[in-house]
Amino acid sequence: MKTDDPKLSALLRESRVMPALPPRFQQNVWRRIEDAAAPAQPASWLDSLAALILRPRFALATAAAVLLAGVFAGTLEGRQAARHDAQLNYLASVAPHALR
Amino acid sequence: MNRSFIILFGALALGAAIFAGSYFTAQRATVKCCAEPADDLSWLRTEFHLSDAEMTRIRELHEGYLPKCAELCAKIAAKKGELASLFGTGTNLTAEAQEKLKEISTLRAQCQAQMLQHFLAVSQVMPPEPGRRYLAEMKQLTLGTNELMEQSMSGDTGHEHHH
Repeated sequence: MKTDDPKLSALLRESRVMPALPPRFQQNVWRRIEDAAAPAQPASWLDSLAALILRPRFALATAAAVLLAGVFAGTLEGRQAARHDAQLNYLASVAPHALR
Repeated sequence: MNRSFIILFGALALGAAIFAGSYFTAQRATVKCCAEPADDLSWLRTEFHLSDAEMTRIRELHEGYLPKCAELCAKIAAKKGELASLFGTGTNLTAEAQEKLKEISTLRAQCQAQMLQHFLAVSQVMPPEPGRRYLAEMKQLTLGTNELMEQSMSGDTGHEHHH
């Protein structure tokens, strides 16, 4: 079978059906593209918060801040506890328990 | 809504776990690092910022005081043992038991006076301001408990004297 027959090619071109586009087709396509590109609007403050939490930068920064706050508070408390222990050691050595 | 709630709850739980973990780790590490169990006097040096010379003098006083304190404590313990044996034989507070109580009180008073004398001597080795602070703190720690007990027994809360 010959594939480069010019008559056959012309007949095939003429027989191709071009369906009519629906009304406002192009406008609708652009609207759908814009909708897909725009961020979804959160429905409530809870959704907004959840969306914020799921942002990697925000999540990492918050975790780091919480970690630092824990270390800071723990260090302060540890220093107080160590000071208290040292004070009790001294007190136990100079003041018999029977007198306190 | 439900998904957001789960995310929020999970984030809060994770945050609490991170905080608790870092808090307890840091606290234990600090206590371990700052603890000096070998030396009873380490607290004085750090709390009152004392020099080596002051610490040497205070250590001498401390080592001179300990045997005297131990001697009185042993006497008190012996008298308490005698009192316990007197109570063990009868149900009444006999004259002999009352005499033992008086002897114990006298020994305790001697012990307390000796202790306060030691605190005074130590405070005089320190610079004036730390010395005053040390003496006040020692009085509070050693006599404050008895005062509180006496105030509660007498119904006088004595709030105006608290610091």
